[in-house]
Amino acid sequence: MKTRLMTCTAGMALGAAFCISAAAAADLMYAPGEDTRFNWDSYKAYAESHDLGGEQLTILGPWLGPDQDAFDSVLAYFGEAANVDVRYTGSDSMEQQIVVDAEAGSAPNVAVFPQPGLAADLAKRGFLTPLGADAEAWMKDNYAAGQSWVDLGSYEGKDGSKTFYAFPYKADVKSLVWYVPENFEDAGYEVPSTMEELKALTEQIVADGGTPWCIGLGSGAATGWPATDWVEDMMLRTQPADVYDQWVTNELPFNDPKVVGAIEEFGWFARNDDFVAGGAGAVASTDFRDSPKGMFSSPPQCYLHHQASFIPAFFPEGTEVGLDADFFYFPAYAEKDLGSPVLGAGTLFAITKDSPAAHAFIEFLETPIAHELWMSLEGGGFLTPLKSVNKDVYVTETRKALGDILLDATTFRFDGSDLMPGGVGAGTFWTGMVDYVGGKPAQEVADNIQTSWDALK
Amino acid sequence: MSSIAGTKSGLTWAVQISVVLLVALWLFPTVGLFVSSFRTADQISSSGWWASMLPSERNETLRTANPDTQVQENGTWVIQGNLFEADRQAEISAWGITSQDIAAYTPGETADMGEDGRLTVEANGDYRLVNETEFSGRRGERVFVTASSPPEFTLDNYREMLFDPSNREGMTKAFFNTLTVVIPATIIPIVIAAFAAYALAWMRFPGRALLIAAVVALLVVPLQLALIPLLKLHLAVGIGKGYLGVWLAHTGFGLPLAIYLLRNYMVGLPRDIIENARVDGATDFQIFVKIILPLSFPALASFAIFQFLWTWNDLLVAMVFLIDATGETTVMTKQIVELLGTRGGNWEILATAAFVSIAVPLAVFFALQRYLVRGLLAGSVK
Repeated sequence: MKTRLMTCTAGMALGAAFCISAAAAADLMYAPGEDTRFNWDSYKAYAESHDLGGEQLTILGPWLGPDQDAFDSVLAYFGEAANVDVRYTGSDSMEQQIVVDAEAGSAPNVAVFPQPGLAADLAKRGFLTPLGADAEAWMKDNYAAGQSWVDLGSYEGKDGSKTFYAFPYKADVKSLVWYVPENFEDAGYEVPSTMEELKALTEQIVADGGTPWCIGLGSGAATGWPATDWVEDMMLRTQPADVYDQWVTNELPFNDPKVVGAIEEFGWFARNDDFVAGGAGAVASTDFRDSPKGMFSSPPQCYLHHQASFIPAFFPEGTEVGLDADFFYFPAYAEKDLGSPVLGAGTLFAITKDSPAAHAFIEFLETPIAHELWMSLEGGGFLTPLKSVNKDVYVTETRKALGDILLDATTFRFDGSDLMPGGVGAGTFWTGMVDYVGGKPAQEVADNIQTSWDALK
Repeated sequence: MSSIAGTKSGLTWAVQISVVLLVALWLFPTVGLFVSSFRTADQISSSGWWASMLPSERNETLRTANPDTQVQENGTWVIQGNLFEADRQAEISAWGITSQDIAAYTPGETADMGEDGRLTVEANGDYRLVNETEFSGRRGERVFVTASSPPEFTLDNYREMLFDPSNREGMTKAFFNTLTVVIPATIIPIVIAAFAAYALAWMRFPGRALLIAAVVALLVVPLQLALIPLLKLHLAVGIGKGYLGVWLAHTGFGLPLAIYLLRNYMVGLPRDIIENARVDGATDFQIFVKIILPLSFPALASFAIFQFLWTWNDLLVAMVFLIDATGETTVMTKQIVELLGTRGGNWEILATAAFVSIAVPLAVFFALQRYLVRGLLAGSVK
């Protein structure tokens, strides 16, 4: 602390701008030890056992804007504790860039993958460094549903054997329905607790002259992905979890009646002109970032919106989550007795250029403080499945409730399209869903997707 | 005779009208972008830019003040104020208290909300909420209004982009970084290409025609093909990622067109002048410097404009050859992409960024534009 002040004063002579940049780069939000909600013991223990002597660590990730600011503030603690010159750069085309850099040999030390598909691909080509058995064992013991998180980060390497390559840190919960409580109050609707009730509510809203759902699949080159979340949620609500697992590995073909049934369950909502704002024709062309705004217009264009935990970033300015907007768990069928399945996703940290600092950084992610610091920030919508954190640190009650969903899920599964091969999960599954909402029969769409999957084998 | 003159003037009209139409058509998207850059994100998503220029009637959801602003008057609790933000002029034509019926009342009427009190809203947005019991809760009541408001524009997007403390540093750095990339990346290919073009146009040596054909063939090679091999080469010879690498890459990618354009222009220069100079004993270098270069200025300038615009707007080459994970170098285009946020969709920033980043190329264009048309015709007209 003292040395930084000195640099700052020295910098004054050279110019105020220098002082600001030097201070901003190493700003710690809370002085270590000050705020008792945080697990400072884990920070001190980590700082004492790690000193990398000012080594530089470069990280490339997908976060920009406020998300980047939040991640930078967490990194500042790592830099301070381990004495590392840590540099994060964000890029919206991170997925393309990391491939170019890995191929050419100019990869950053650590890469943050938004989806496991690409990490698996790079692991297979030998660009990732295994994280070791210790990290794997730690994750199994300390994350809720630990084994499933380990599986998410384990891929086949160049030699064909499966190893733990990518550390999941920062999770998203997907099985959510967002709504405006005051609109529900005005119309006298109740939050449904079963799928039967949700369907009844949908029909009720139509009978009252309203439109129940806002659904938008538009996302530039990735148009169609929001529909894959719907289908995955429906898969988990109509079939047992082991059928879901067979589906994502294609042991169960994509054109099996069980999968077609799940697609048609989605169609029940999305292909009915009365159920969707703008009619079924607008589903594929509405941008997913714009579609939740319909809930907040006057009079409301729709009452319900199915989307992951990140979506409040796209609510109109000034919307307070928890008051102006809230969520409920996308319910399961009462009659099917499949428990309450939860669909999630996580970003994965992998070492793309081996260095001692990179391993030290992965060890830093194992400390509760690394999770709690980001939990206390608005930016990035951080959620964690780490059991040992203090949940009171979450920045809002809503965030805390979302975090609880992660910790308490009876059945936790990852986004299936992320686990499928890229050509399907980030290709034909997306385009197939656009075709489906455009009016193509579910069976035909599923047949096409299965054909494309066969072609990849 | 008069009929001929009549046809002529009719045609002139047709030409002029179609010119005006074409200009309008070309400018249309730019105008839209320009108008959008003065609107907020919510405005952009709720109405088109063409609607923003006229007074518009919109449905809005507003709130009364929080219960903690209530005052006690003669045994009743009162919250009052104005629904609109301080400096906004709007006129309410209808209002309501539930999302089910947003136009239930006209201005001046009083709505009875049962135990929540009685609300009166005036046309200018003044309201008065009265109740016998104390108001509780954290938020005010929702009021749904149909209000017409004059066109509204804001400079916030420009402020956020240029003067926001968290961006300003990055933007300034990106601006100078971009200049560091662009100026050498424009000058180096012009210098090399001018020499090459002279040689290909006026010096006789075996294989000249083949060389020209090879340059033309290179014009059709997409630069994306070369990204990874070239970066590997840069890393292998030790240039790595940095300014030198990006200058070389831009030079390489720009040279085929530069050589082709300049060679075709130089070949069209009068042979007599050059032969006279040869007879007078001038060397090739003297001919190049004293005669060819001054005469080729329009072609050089027009290629400079092209190359400047490409390199200024380039993101791909900079991402591959310049920007490494340490984040020490950046360019304007990269900075703008970052402003869009993790999941994109901030159109208002995109529109604003387009106009900020267009400023320098526009200045360059207007400074050199009188050469552009002459240069565009380079080689096409003898």
